[in-house]
Amino acid sequence: MVQIRRAYEVLFLGLFLFFLLVTDLRYLKGWPVSIFLEATPLVAVSTALTTHTIYRNLWWGVFILGVTMMFGRVWCNWMCPFGILHHFFGYIGNRKNTKQLIEVNRYRWWYSIKYYILIAMLVMAGAWIIPTLIATPGEVVTAWNTDDGSVATRPVRALANGFAAAAERYKEGGSNLQIGLLDPIALTVRSMTTSVLPVAHVATESIYTEPREYWYAWVVGLIFAGFLVANWWIPRFFCRAVCPLGALLGLLSRFSLWRIDRDPVRCTDCDLCLKNCEGASDPHKDLRKSECFVCLNCIEDCPHDALTYRFLPRKASEITWPAVGRRQVLLAGIFGSLFFPMAKLSGGVKKNFSRYVIRPPGSVAEDEFLRRCIKCDQCIRVCPTNVLQPALFEAGVLGLWTPIMISKMGWCELNCTLCSQVCPTGAIREISIAEKLGTGPFESKGPIKTGTAFYNRGRCLPWSMDVDCVVCEEVCPTSPKAIFTRNIEITDRWGKTLHLKRPYIDPEKCIGCGICEHECPVKDDPAVYVTAIGETRDKSRSLLLSLVDDPAGSQDLVSIG
Amino acid sequence: MSEKLTAKQISNLQKFGGVNPADETFSRRDFAKRVGATGAVLTGAVATGVAITDPWGMQGVKPPPPVKLGNYSVRDELPASAPSVVVVHSNPESQPPSESGENQAQRMIEAALKAMGGIDKFIKRGDIVVVKPNVAFDKNPDLAATSQPDSVAAVVKMCLAAGAREVRVCDNPINNPESCFFKTKVGDAALRAGAKLILPQESYFEDLYIGGETITNTWRMFYKPFKDATKVIGVSPVKDHNLCKATVTMKNWYGLLGNPRNQFHQNIHGIITDFGLMMKPTLVIADGRKLLMRNGPTGGSLNDVKRGDTMVVGTDQVAVDSWCVSKLLEKQRHEIVYLDKSIAKGYGADWRPQWTNEITV
Repeated sequence: MVQIRRAYEVLFLGLFLFFLLVTDLRYLKGWPVSIFLEATPLVAVSTALTTHTIYRNLWWGVFILGVTMMFGRVWCNWMCPFGILHHFFGYIGNRKNTKQLIEVNRYRWWYSIKYYILIAMLVMAGAWIIPTLIATPGEVVTAWNTDDGSVATRPVRALANGFAAAAERYKEGGSNLQIGLLDPIALTVRSMTTSVLPVAHVATESIYTEPREYWYAWVVGLIFAGFLVANWWIPRFFCRAVCPLGALLGLLSRFSLWRIDRDPVRCTDCDLCLKNCEGASDPHKDLRKSECFVCLNCIEDCPHDALTYRFLPRKASEITWPAVGRRQVLLAGIFGSLFFPMAKLSGGVKKNFSRYVIRPPGSVAEDEFLRRCIKCDQCIRVCPTNVLQPALFEAGVLGLWTPIMISKMGWCELNCTLCSQVCPTGAIREISIAEKLGTGPFESKGPIKTGTAFYNRGRCLPWSMDVDCVVCEEVCPTSPKAIFTRNIEITDRWGKTLHLKRPYIDPEKCIGCGICEHECPVKDDPAVYVTAIGETRDKSRSLLLSLVDDPAGSQDLVSIG
Repeated sequence: MSEKLTAKQISNLQKFGGVNPADETFSRRDFAKRVGATGAVLTGAVATGVAITDPWGMQGVKPPPPVKLGNYSVRDELPASAPSVVVVHSNPESQPPSESGENQAQRMIEAALKAMGGIDKFIKRGDIVVVKPNVAFDKNPDLAATSQPDSVAAVVKMCLAAGAREVRVCDNPINNPESCFFKTKVGDAALRAGAKLILPQESYFEDLYIGGETITNTWRMFYKPFKDATKVIGVSPVKDHNLCKATVTMKNWYGLLGNPRNQFHQNIHGIITDFGLMMKPTLVIADGRKLLMRNGPTGGSLNDVKRGDTMVVGTDQVAVDSWCVSKLLEKQRHEIVYLDKSIAKGYGADWRPQWTNEITV
């Protein structure tokens, strides 16, 4: 059995790393590279709370829920790449004797912290419920008044429609998605993308064509390494105490039909089953069902065959629910419901939104974006130019590690929509090249703009230094170009006549791709730079009245294909 | 237990009275209960999933169905002979010496409505009336940059006297709403006259479909006060404007626009024309007793204010604006591009002597 599990571990970690490596323009083809991110039920559950929908392939999460409800937390030790990495790091860091091993694998009360983390994050995701409930009575009255259907079911309809109307209104601005900070797959993809792979590339020159740099990657990398090395002292520290996905699966494994069971007659209380217990689920006593990773090591280690994995063992020999305190649950809930609005109302997101938050093309409006983005940074992984970067606090504390474009690092390639293809949650909606460029059926809608370029004439060579340049005009990819020039004739300081081209921006044509900023020879503080204003994803950030809206735009939404 | 047991295991077995509890199999009832619970929760999860699935990822960008502002005009119920504009001049000599501004406004508006067929043609018993003043700036009303509190109060009282169930006074000003309603004295006057004051709140805004020249599709509008209203009366000042040359009754609807509305200055005449498409008011009242002749729309000096002794009431906002800019503000009529645009699009007619009543009280 343990051999089979090991084979699965190798298979799933291998698959994960394979998908990670092929998340690249050259190899992507049709590989389902987002499958692990889509399979974590935490993403499905929490985005269902924030968006009231299940986006495309997040259905895989429901499948894993089903597996957990049958067999327990098999995900954690058989499939989860981060769990498998923890398993591996615990193994290589293991310098303990049997006695010490038994002791480090006993259950600790603070392993329940993961449940409080989960609760705080889900409360943030479902915070819209508070204003919704306050507004529901009024909406129910409105629904009652406007309803002229059959009398018998009118109260039911009024209640349901009233609640739905209130929920629809307060969903926007009423919740936030933070599970990505600690969801094991999002965390692993993010850490691999921004810190592990760039380091591996420096050593091997085999991953990219050009070395990558990521904004404050060391923070992400240090957290990742910290969790992995923690296994040397506390095996599976992350999985046992921190992982919110483990907590969700722990809650659901309460329903699992199969579990480890101890034969109290055969058991001689030697505690050898604890020696390699991954989950610290106390197999030597009544099993803590919510903590067991179903690694099956205990069965292997039991000298008396007292442990079996069986269907519907007696209820009396298990601890069905996780050991969480009611007061602590309340505290976690209060933290979640207060922290979200406080963070959101700390400025920098709405009124004082940052000019640096330039989202990739296809991104939905900022509020919805923050309700969808799980900070997995897979878009950053696939971006061929390095322009996509994990934000620090540019998008507010809630937008930590969400993707932004830093044009000094790269530019948005004109004929590329890769980031929108790999986004597992629709924070970057899948768009076609035609939609991005505003051609074909999207002609009337115009191109997707991510921002607008501006000139800092004091630093621009032809504008203030009598030097020819206009690289920006050359690289401007739109047709017709958004950057145009005016010829001028000036007298230079020595009295000679000079002919210069001076660049200007046509804000209607500029799509904010940032290649002008990237190629500007004034490298440290480019003379042409892009800021977020004028982005088409959000009407409240539009700049030009002529582009603000189009009747055709709202009708023609289906972009794929 | 068939195999050979150790001493410890034998003692364990004895502790359980010779029966190993782990050998116990589940009962049929137990099976049904536990498998049933798992099945039920799983079915619930799958059903919820199916109900909220978004296979194309389009729910997030699907716009809500378009909502349009209602038509509040009663022009069709009036006799065709009723004037679309009534200009009321106040004769300073016939004015009682200590008459309040509110009384004067009331006398003038009543005279105008009488000429159009009487107030009961416009306000019916049970109506919910929105009175929309222009309180864009937090300035003293004497500076004539905002609607006069006495004319707002007079309109509110007349509506209530005509049997209106509720009168709402609302605006989404440029300056801070609280200070605007306070310092223009319009808030206090409206409350004292018995109206409900509605200051803009974020949740009061909704996307409204316009389909015009500048707002080709929808825009966030201060819609809540209008949602269940039955009549709308615009009460505006008559003043100069730096960009569009004049602010009268049509530009007053700018106060319905949500942010970022500053973009509309890129096509100011376009947006004012769109107001003619968007808003079909019951009545518009241009209070020309104080005129801001220069340095509009903010003004700020009494030197810019001229006494006008006139009130213009009408059912056609284009005609009212047209009369005011030519006769009161002394502008070149065709400088006001939005009027020509509105007339060309059929949102109203230019003022003509045959449709205009000029009276003096």
